[in-house]
Amino acid sequence: MDVNHQFRSPAELKTALGQQQYIASNEIATILYLSQQLGKPLLAEGPAGVGKTELAKALSGATGRELIRLQCYEGLDETKALYEWEYAKQLLYTQLLRDKLQETFSASLSLKDAADRLAAEEDVFFSMRFLLQRPLLKAILSDLPTVLLIDEIDRADAEFEAFLLEVLSDFQVSVPELGTLSAVHRPLVVLTSNNTRELSEALKRRCLYLFIDYPSLEQELAVVRLKVPELAPKLARQAVELVHRLRSLDLRKSPSISETLDWAKALVTLNAHQLDDTTLETTLSVLLKHESDLQRARRKLFSSPHISQN
Amino acid sequence: MDQRIIEFINALRAQGVRISLAESKDAFEAIDEMGAQEKDTFRISLRATLIKNSDDIPHFEELFPLFFQTSQPPFNNASQDLTPEQAQMIAQALRQFTEQLRRMLQKLVQGRPLTPEELNQLDRLVNMDDVNDMRFQNWKLRQMEQALRFKEVQQALQEMMEMLREMGMDQEKVEELQEQLQANQQAMEEQLKQHIGQKILENMLQQNRQERIDNLYNRPFQNLTDQDMRILHKEVRRLAAILRTRLALRLKRARTGQLDVKATLRTNLKYGNIPIEIRHKDHTLKPKIVVLCDISTSMRHCSELMLSLLYAIQDQISKTHAFSFIDRLEYVSPFFEGRQPDEAISEILQRMPSGHYNTDLGMCLENLHHNFLDTLDHHSTFIVVGDARNNYNDPRLDIFKDLSRRSRGTIWLNPESPPLWGTGDSDMLKYMPFCKRAFQVNNLTQRAEAIDQLLIQTSIG
Repeated sequence: MDVNHQFRSPAELKTALGQQQYIASNEIATILYLSQQLGKPLLAEGPAGVGKTELAKALSGATGRELIRLQCYEGLDETKALYEWEYAKQLLYTQLLRDKLQETFSASLSLKDAADRLAAEEDVFFSMRFLLQRPLLKAILSDLPTVLLIDEIDRADAEFEAFLLEVLSDFQVSVPELGTLSAVHRPLVVLTSNNTRELSEALKRRCLYLFIDYPSLEQELAVVRLKVPELAPKLARQAVELVHRLRSLDLRKSPSISETLDWAKALVTLNAHQLDDTTLETTLSVLLKHESDLQRARRKLFSSPHISQN
Repeated sequence: MDQRIIEFINALRAQGVRISLAESKDAFEAIDEMGAQEKDTFRISLRATLIKNSDDIPHFEELFPLFFQTSQPPFNNASQDLTPEQAQMIAQALRQFTEQLRRMLQKLVQGRPLTPEELNQLDRLVNMDDVNDMRFQNWKLRQMEQALRFKEVQQALQEMMEMLREMGMDQEKVEELQEQLQANQQAMEEQLKQHIGQKILENMLQQNRQERIDNLYNRPFQNLTDQDMRILHKEVRRLAAILRTRLALRLKRARTGQLDVKATLRTNLKYGNIPIEIRHKDHTLKPKIVVLCDISTSMRHCSELMLSLLYAIQDQISKTHAFSFIDRLEYVSPFFEGRQPDEAISEILQRMPSGHYNTDLGMCLENLHHNFLDTLDHHSTFIVVGDARNNYNDPRLDIFKDLSRRSRGTIWLNPESPPLWGTGDSDMLKYMPFCKRAFQVNNLTQRAEAIDQLLIQTSIG
């Protein structure tokens, strides 16, 4: 698909995402479409593993744009996210060009003259050649439009958030040695957050907000059918129903969609025909990653086979 | 339409949702883009631009139908397609009931909604003017239904059907009639609900929210209502964000300063020892905090806000251990793991319900000393939130002295004013000599100041 293509309606966007094997609800499609039309970043929040990152990937696939990903972590700073001068390369060049430099200076009469000559050559050393582009700068300077994914922004420090503000509102970056670099094409920006801490108001203000929760039974079943078509329909329904029941328990970590998919794949691999106790016993650890959760789930699932949904 | 959206935004603000001018502008742009014809798209466009916090989504979903629902609930007139005989029978059956019930039943048969006068009368009956919180909607609905005697009407309906059957109306018609009347009753309930929602909204819009917040900041903790607490929790989060940025800046400044020769040499080995990357000595120390909160009835609000503030700025603190006590000690930090502070706090309070306890700080100190001494070391600051009213129990000064010697410093936050310290069963003056600082924190303003002071002292040294 043409990378400059603009979607003309939420429905078109939804179909395009569907072709990337991403089942988007009307809500997701509408908000993404708005984000494209208004040129605003999209902030996707929700529990871990509901497909926030997947959404950005699908968007990149649907638009045919390159996906540039910035994974956030505590201590992430400008040099890792934006740009860095490549000192070592600069040093190497100076060493290798020593003869040439000597030549330049040999004709100079005074120290002042030599310094002026050197200053004239300064641009060589502070040029794009020695600028190591990190994800943010890469997204801004890319010749083709891109999709920029800033993943798990809640893990980065508050300072970094403040620094993102300039980038996200104006899509420009100031490098002291080079001046302000503006975006060639506005990238489509998706930020994701697991809501482990409160993001600053200023950052939220600049974004459109999308809260992705666990999907309904039918939606999740559709996802499982799409991604793991080998699983028998009846078994798939049973499996998804069980996952929903697990989510209704008070667990330390509820199983996410990605875990449902892993489990579905496991069931296919194990050639399971029904969800009996032994199958459950052996595969439950794919869904639940805490020992205490496993024990609780075992107690609930095996003691009484019919538990009400609440 | 624009006017309606502005009103809607105001109503959201009145509910405590923070919406900036830029965001309302975005909302209008989004509506321009998407149009307002399709209701679902319209709702999603507004929500994506106005609501930036998952906690606020319920407020939005609650208010949205009140503002943008144009349809009146459907009433259908059951008396239209009756034969004269059937109408006669109904009239005869109705005569059996008392005046009020008869009027209600007639309304249902003819499918007439309640008139504005009737609604006004109901408003006066249930004191609608004092209600300004959506949570009371269902409660007021029940009250109005009671005033209209819905239950008895329901019963009368059954009786009437019975009578009609006896009078020889054919079974099918009776059932149809019954269905229609019940549908009408439901429509009436819906009408009441909408009306109450509108009324509450009007009341909400009238009160000036900003004023309330300022008052809350300076109101003593023990005078706070539950609703105030809800608002305050939100404010605490905002306050924490401010504190956090201030703190982060301070830490950053502290990080640049004195040159660290050793580290600089080491990092620049790769450039042939030309000092290209400069390293500075790190003067920062993210504070470690051990906090002991009295959550007895008198101190509850105070400690609750302390805990929520502390956990909101957790990323600026390297480690927090929280304990709460009344007559026994409880280690509460695990509750905060991977949870929003408000949720965790409500769970803690559930575990230690308020009631008559014998507050015993001495024993709790002993317990702390015995079981959790490893949480305290020379990096950690020991904070006690309490009124030091010990019910004449042994204050265990020896243990307190030891704890404060082991820690970097001990800070006491007391909601009582200093002249009261040491009066009655207060052991405050006995504990004071072992504390580095003692603050009076009786409202949120004082609290914020105390925390700010505390972080200055502990983070840079």
